[in-house]
This record gives sequence, C-alpha cells and structure tokens, in this order.
Amino acid sequence: MKVRYSYLPEQFAHPDEILAKIREHLATCRFTLGPEVEELERSFARVIGTKHAVGVNSGTDALMLSLRALGVGHGDEVITAANTFIATVGAIAATGARPVLVDVTPWFTLDASKLEAAITPRTKAIVPVHLTGEPADMDAILEIAQRRSLAVVEDACQSILAAWRGRNAGTMGATGAFSLHPLKNLNVWGDGGVIVTDDDALDRKLRLLRNHGLASRDEVAVLGYNSRLDSIQAIVGTWLIPQVHDITAKRIANAEAYDRGLRDLAGVLDVPPRRAHVKRVYHLYMLRATRRDELHRHLLERGVEAKIHYPIPLYRQEALRHLGYESGAFPETDRQAAEVISLPADQHLTAEQIAHVIASVRAFYGAR
Amino acid sequence: MRFEVPYVDFPAQFRGAARETLAALETVLARGEFILGEEVAAFEKEFAALCDAEHAIGVANGTDAIVLVLKALGVGPGDEVVTAPNSWISTAAAIVHTGARPVFADVGPDQNVAPAKVDAAIGPRTKALLPVHLAGRCADMRALLEIGRRRGVPVIEDAAQAVLAKRDGGRAGSMGLAACFSLHPLKNLNAAGDAGAITTNDAALAGKLRLLRNHGLVTRDEAAVWGFNSRLDALQAALLRFRMGQLEAITARRRRHAARYRERLASLVECPMESPGELAVYHLFVIQCDRRDELKAFLEARSIETKIHYPVPIHLQPAAAALGHERGDFPVAERQASRILSLPVHQFLEDAQVDRVCSAIEEFYRQ
Repeated sequence: MKVRYSYLPEQFAHPDEILAKIREHLATCRFTLGPEVEELERSFARVIGTKHAVGVNSGTDALMLSLRALGVGHGDEVITAANTFIATVGAIAATGARPVLVDVTPWFTLDASKLEAAITPRTKAIVPVHLTGEPADMDAILEIAQRRSLAVVEDACQSILAAWRGRNAGTMGATGAFSLHPLKNLNVWGDGGVIVTDDDALDRKLRLLRNHGLASRDEVAVLGYNSRLDSIQAIVGTWLIPQVHDITAKRIANAEAYDRGLRDLAGVLDVPPRRAHVKRVYHLYMLRATRRDELHRHLLERGVEAKIHYPIPLYRQEALRHLGYESGAFPETDRQAAEVISLPADQHLTAEQIAHVIASVRAFYGAR
Repeated sequence: MRFEVPYVDFPAQFRGAARETLAALETVLARGEFILGEEVAAFEKEFAALCDAEHAIGVANGTDAIVLVLKALGVGPGDEVVTAPNSWISTAAAIVHTGARPVFADVGPDQNVAPAKVDAAIGPRTKALLPVHLAGRCADMRALLEIGRRRGVPVIEDAAQAVLAKRDGGRAGSMGLAACFSLHPLKNLNAAGDAGAITTNDAALAGKLRLLRNHGLVTRDEAAVWGFNSRLDALQAALLRFRMGQLEAITARRRRHAARYRERLASLVECPMESPGELAVYHLFVIQCDRRDELKAFLEARSIETKIHYPVPIHLQPAAAALGHERGDFPVAERQASRILSLPVHQFLEDAQVDRVCSAIEEFYRQ
C-alpha cells in the first residue's frame, strides 16, 4: 500500500470551483492586492481571531516583515529555536540582525528555561517557533519578553489553529507569521504567507512594507519590499479557509490513531506527552525513534513516505558557521536531529493507510 | 472612471487568450508541482534564450531580483551601488535592503544614466553599477561596461522594463554581469501576479542565485548560505511560457504605436528617439513637454488616460531622507520629473486610438 507524503493531487482533484473563480478574476485583472486579497485577509483574521491579517509573499517574508516593522535591523539580535526550518533564521538574517539560537524541549519547541541566558543588550525580539503545529511555552516566553521589554513574533507557519491555553497560535505575540505554502495545513498553489496582529499601527506599517513603502502610487513613506500575496493565490486560500477546521480535526484524529496504535512501543518510540492545555494541529506527526534511519528505510520500502524534519541541526549548517556555535552546544536539538521522524498525517489519509503505517512501524520493531 | 483610450487593457489580454491562459494553469495543477520544478525550469531555459543569455533564474519579483544579485555579489553594509535617481523606487530600496547605500548619477536627455556622471560617482566603496533601462530603452551599456572594466566594478542591468530591448548589438539581459527583470502584470511580458527573473552568463553566479532564492538550500536538508524565499510560482511560469510566444508581436505592436506618435508629435513635444543600433521596446512611451500637468488634465477630459513615471525622483522621496539629498542635486532628473508624461502605448490599442491621442495633443498646443 502506498502512503505518500504530498496529498495535493487528491486535495485539488476537483478544482472546477476554484478555476471558475480564477477565470472570473483573470478577466478583471486585479492581479496585485485588490478585493481578492482583502477578502482572504478578512476571512483569515476571522478564523484566527485577530483584528488584522496582511497577505504577503511567503511565510519567510511574514517573519522578515514583522521584524522589520518592529524596527529590527543591523546590529540587533533575535532569539529563536535551534531546531527550526532554515527560513526562520534566514528571515532574521535578512533583516541584518544576528540570529541567536536556544535549545528546545522534548515537545520540539523553544526551551524557555534557557531563554534568559541568551538575552543580551542587543536582543530586540524573540521568535518562538510553534514547530509541527505545537505551540511553544508561551506563558514563560511572554512573561520573560514583557519583563525584559522584548518583542515577540510568533513563527506560526506550521500551526494554524493550534492553541495554548485556548489562545490561538499567532495571536499572542506582537504579530504571528503564517505560511500558505502548498504543504501547509492551509495551503495555496504557490508561495504565500499571512501576518496577523491586533495592533493598528503595526498593521499599517506592514501594509506599507509589503508594497514598496507606498503611501500612494507616487509617495514613498518608508523603504519597503515587494512582498504581496498574489490575488490568484488569495482566491485559492479563501476557497480553502472554510475547510480549515475540518482539516485540523482530521489531522488531530489521525494523530490520535497513531498515538493509540504506537502507545505500547514506548520503549523504542518517544512520542512527546500530550498536554491538556495545548491544542496541537499536527502539521507534522513527529516522534523520536530508536534506529531512526533504519526505520525510515523500512517505511519507504513499505510504501510509507515518512520524512525527517530536519536531519542536520541549523547550527551545524554551512550557512551558520560564522555564528561560531560549537559542536554539542544544543544537545536536545542534536538528539532530535538524529532521532526524529514524521509520519504522514494529512486530512486525505484513509483509515486503511493509517493502519498500514502503524503496522509497518510495529513490524519494524517486531511487535504485532 | 472608464477611459476610451485606457493606459492599460488587461481584460483585452485575457479575452484574447482565455482558453490558453486557463490551460496553462491546469497543466501545473494536474502535475501538483507548485514550487519550482519542471515548469519553472522550462521557463528559465526559454527566458534565457529570449534574452541571449546563458542562464535565467525565476524569482518572486523584479525587486527581489536586484536584492538577490547584489547579495550574491557580496554587497552589504558599508558598500555603495551607483544607480539612477529617476527609476521606480524599488531599484534604490533593493540596494538599501542589502545594507548598502545607493549613490545616484544624474541622467541624460534619454532619461538613462549619463556615463560620465556614473564615472564621477564611483568611489572606493562602490561595489556595483546598476544602470536602469528605463521605459524599455537600454542605457548606454557600451560606455558603462567600459567604465566598469576600467574602474573594476561589475555592471548589473535593471532591465525590469526592457525585455527584448537592444543596443549596439547587445540584448537587455545579456550585457552586464547579470540583469534583473520584472514580470509584473503591467510589464510587456507579464504574469498574473508578481514574478521576476534574473539572467546571467556566469555559471557560478547562476548557481549562487539558485541557492539564494530558495533558503540557501543545496539539498532539502543542507543550507550552504543564508537565503531568502523568492521563487517564481510554477503557475506564473506556465502562463509566462505561453505569453513569451506572443512577445515579439506585442513588441512590434508597441513599436508601431511609438513610430506613429513620433511621426505626428516630434515637432510639438520631445519624443523618445532611437539611435542607430538601438531597439526600444516601449514599456512606456514617455514624452517630455511644457505645461505637462495641464496637458494631462486636457487629455483626461477627452477620455485619454496618461501616467507619470515618476513624478517624484527617488532622492526627494521621504523614504530617502536619510541619504541627505536636496533639490538641485540631480537637476536633469528633477527637470524631467516635471515634464514627463507617459502616453498609452500597449499592444491592444488601435491605430485610431493612437491618432486620437495625437490629435488631442496637437489641439492642446494649438490653443
């Protein structure tokens, strides 16, 4: 049985409704910004529960523009998690600031107990990453940020509709950055991103920054970027937003099925404990596994397209060498890079496919 | 307000090719490959050939194209890049975003940087020259490349408005170390959203740019350099491939309108002329004239839509305040800013509409 990681062909097997809308749109030709983007922004803000949402070119740009809007630039430092996707630190570096990494917890998110030690007089912001769809420890992070007068930009790229004590990911910091990349829980047909905020002034600034800083066609208030969500992508996103609660519920149900099916393998698998105050939305169903690489090969042979997020810790990447971190500086991150594996968990999986994945994992460890 | 002679006519572009446009989108949809992949690779190959260049790299937009090239060349804080003060704001913004300082060189009568002024603007910190092929006319690349060679500074073309343009036997996109194109909906070759491309004949630079546009990733798991997310969407690449097939006809049509304007208006206003060996593609047809604002209002009252590219030079924008310029620093660009007017020149205009614009301008100056 084949259990593939990308489900785009199934998701868009019947695109007629979207294509009809795109056809209508192509005839009107409002390709940059305009009513389609505004509609997505309204729906997105409503779903997340913020006052504003700003459509941008990607999740990476959502982070970069948020930091720029908060005044982060050359000479500053921004703290983030050591085990994130390269884009989080890439966005920090793109502002001219220096990324400062902090090790993570068994839940794959920034370890707040190590946060204060990383703060220096140059620190301007903290970017907690809600990796896999599980919010970071926002109680502690927000408390420290407030006490030390630091801005918080949430990297919510993998965590639409995840929640910490009932508060949605992306709504707790100054801004929340979301990705609409084709592989995300809420996805479009290309690159896309959204920034959410309740702050009117930040919202205005972000709208300037994403569109060349233009106050009007001819007046440039600040030096901005070109980072707009395409109208075509906004149409796809708006079409999908009504489904996002169902997508989330289905992914959570799939994860629960994995939890149940793998529970007794606790000796060889380490699934982070589920916590009552956390709503995790399983962009990734990620766990640590004994003999991970062998398990990975075994699953691929059985048609299960499992993935590794991410096998090389950021601080060991060539691109970060100049930051000067020593080998072993982030032991939990190292351990995860060596042991994590992500099982397909998307909303298009059938019960049979999930059963096949569970059976394949169990077979590898000689369990029935 | 609906103009009888509109400045742009997107609906006409879609009406003429609705079936092909949707088919292009469906190709990508059926493959389910939305990020880079086969479609973008095919576009890049075809676009490079179109520009007489060896490599093309699809990126998110024309602004990013400049940022990425400058980053690839190692331009950063403390460096300077020489460019034109009369371009679209993002030419200068792209320089600022690398941490470098834009240094402006005043322009000539053709609205492109004057080579002698560029030479004078080069200093010990200059890391690149960034001439702009404004309106679809190539800057004097022969002179600029000679200056670049003599002073040891690479020349990057801002070719955002100049796809297919030529000068002295060289095609826009093939003359500098690299060239930056915008494929924005308003451009001669346009996507249905933001899109851009970079061309270069330097294989190492092309490789670096491919890394920079995709998070610096050598493989899915290995980041070699700090990168960006600046990819041309596969959907847009498919549409661009279709439209590339029409570009010669589009350009010919724009050149025909330009010639018609020149024939009737050259005695009344200053029209863009082509020097021997020059092929302009008329992304814009910019006249320079007296009583510009009055003329614009007069044409508008006759349902003719015109634009100004651009009324405020970059060095006088509030955003550029930190550069410390004042009025009078670039007198030619400043004078032109008060005299330039862009007439409709798009490929969907009929000859009769062009004639109507000419007649209205004649009427205005006869008053």
